[in-house]
Amino acid sequence: MKTTIQEQDGNMVAILEGRLDTAASPETEKAMSPLYGCEGQDIIIDCTDLEYISSSGLRIFLGILKSAKAKGGHVYIKGISDDIRAVFAMTGFINLFEFK
Amino acid sequence: MGNNVIFDAHGEALLQQYRELLPTLNQLAKQAYDLLSQALREQGIYVTAIEYRVKKEKSLAGKLELKGAKYKTIDDITDLVGLRVITFYTDEVDKVAAIAKRIFDIDWQESVDKRKLHQLDAFGYNSLHYICRLRSGGPRFELQMRTALQHVWSTIEHDTGYKGDVKIPREYLRQFSRLAGMLELVDDEFSRLRLVLTDYRRQIQSLVKNGQLDDVPLSADTFRSYFDLHPFDRLNRRIAAVNQAEIYPVSMMPFLPVLESFGLETLGDVQHFIDDNSDDAYQLALSQLAITDLDILSSSAALQYLCLVFVLKHDGGREGLKSVYDTINGKSDANGMLADMMLEQAATLPFMQVKK
Repeated sequence: MKTTIQEQDGNMVAILEGRLDTAASPETEKAMSPLYGCEGQDIIIDCTDLEYISSSGLRIFLGILKSAKAKGGHVYIKGISDDIRAVFAMTGFINLFEFK
Repeated sequence: MGNNVIFDAHGEALLQQYRELLPTLNQLAKQAYDLLSQALREQGIYVTAIEYRVKKEKSLAGKLELKGAKYKTIDDITDLVGLRVITFYTDEVDKVAAIAKRIFDIDWQESVDKRKLHQLDAFGYNSLHYICRLRSGGPRFELQMRTALQHVWSTIEHDTGYKGDVKIPREYLRQFSRLAGMLELVDDEFSRLRLVLTDYRRQIQSLVKNGQLDDVPLSADTFRSYFDLHPFDRLNRRIAAVNQAEIYPVSMMPFLPVLESFGLETLGDVQHFIDDNSDDAYQLALSQLAITDLDILSSSAALQYLCLVFVLKHDGGREGLKSVYDTINGKSDANGMLADMMLEQAATLPFMQVKK
């Protein structure tokens, strides 16, 4: 699992590649920690190359969303596959996020 | 002075006192504003605006030119610092006043309730003015309290120069007076309406609490009250048990338009909708979640599965499912994919077989 954080057009972008399973979650959460601190910027989570997401991955997404919303920010999910979108839908979290 | 204002020596002396006092006035204005804002916040009073200002030298000079002799020292001018609170409702003016009494010392001799100054058959400027002092001492300041409509009237009156040099014909003065009367009436009507609505909410909450759901129309307010009965908890817990999942609290309000689109008109209808569809919603959730190890669910999951089952059982098909997703997620082509997936997975479930 590879996580890259970068700034693009004033937004904070996290690019996720690989399988975000239970084993990869602690490391991914640590890599995404700059997103918790960002103020006044929108967050884009680029899932174009994300192959799988587990519950612990969903928890990371929810944590980032909660932190961003508290500061009036938005979290966008970009390039999500049908399978991962279905995970968001079947757990009832799909309407919390904005998709690009 | 570059303002063409002519002073005597007394006026100049007052102006000099003002200049020396200015840093104190600036500090006082901010301090009084902070104290009042905090007190209003603590009492849960939301107002349209709290403003403060320190009188500008030019404005003071104009005042001194007109009535400088009236003031012995600069301390006699009570509006060098002014605060203004603009409320939504008339009764909130009195609440703000009560708070001001608690946090400031009020000079009652100088304070004036303009609302009580009018003759029975006259209408005009309605505002409550207190002359205050911080409990810790210092110069006095003016606190104006009025409603948004009183503020509108007063601002327009000021803008039109109604109290200027030119004598305004009686018919126009009467128009101002009529407008003031109308706004006073509107202010009172808004306050009355708020009372009626508060009372209505209490009645509805009482009906919900007593389980008289058929008598409660479905609306944003009543739907929110309904959550106090935890109507979706049982099904949520049942679904969560599939994977021993944690239930993550989220708002269920996005589903209200979906329920309305199903023709549900009362909370009783919603309760019947839950009772009639819970087992099938559980079957649908089970078919989706049992093949995963997902151990976190949103608290809206039960309601979402109930809505999807309702559509499936009422032959809503792909378009109906997509419409549910479009309503809760926002319109998107991807919702069509979710609808297709749902149709395929639901096809073998018992409630779909019975329907055939």
